[in-house]
Amino acid sequence: MPLYELGVIITPSLADEEREAFLGELKELLAKEGATIVKEDVWGKRNLAYSIKHEREGFYVFWQYEGPGTVVKPLEYRLRLSDQVLRYLNLNLDREMQRARKMEKVRAEQKAAKREKKGQRAEASAAAAVAEV
Amino acid sequence: MGKKKYFVKRKKACKFTAEGIEYIDYKDLDLIRQYVPVSGKILPRRVSGTNPIYQRKLTRAIKRARLMALLPFLGD
Repeated sequence: MPLYELGVIITPSLADEEREAFLGELKELLAKEGATIVKEDVWGKRNLAYSIKHEREGFYVFWQYEGPGTVVKPLEYRLRLSDQVLRYLNLNLDREMQRARKMEKVRAEQKAAKREKKGQRAEASAAAAVAEV
Repeated sequence: MGKKKYFVKRKKACKFTAEGIEYIDYKDLDLIRQYVPVSGKILPRRVSGTNPIYQRKLTRAIKRARLMALLPFLGD
């Protein structure tokens, strides 16, 4: 099951209880779809870099959760329908890391090839030195 | 006599290669801000010396940060 990262910006005009209720609803949805929240990161109220829906502030919440790919669709659907959500961003972290790991592998291979070449050259020069003697 | 031009050669170094950062998080504003001047534009590779691989990742991270209103689309 891949690891996802969800970032949500909620309207600041929402009361604390209402916000908690909404987040609880999202958590329920995640649980129902068979996902478990691994990490919770609540930034709280923060100034937005630009206004969204005439709001200058937003309540930032970030979740990392693990779940089957079938979670994404209902979750994003729910977020899109909510008026209190100013913006959300759902990322597949595994996919992001995979790219990085792939590059790492390629680079390691290149390095190994280089080292081998160097080793061969060193051997050749050593052999040449021996031959000279 | 023409005026002699002097160039200050500065050693450019890719921070991400040096530190082995493999994933650039769009939430890591302290890191990302180093590559976004007040104009809000993404600092070009020719200035920052970032490797092409990391420049692309950095660009993606900056654009995500913009979407989440962490960075402006238009700076001052």
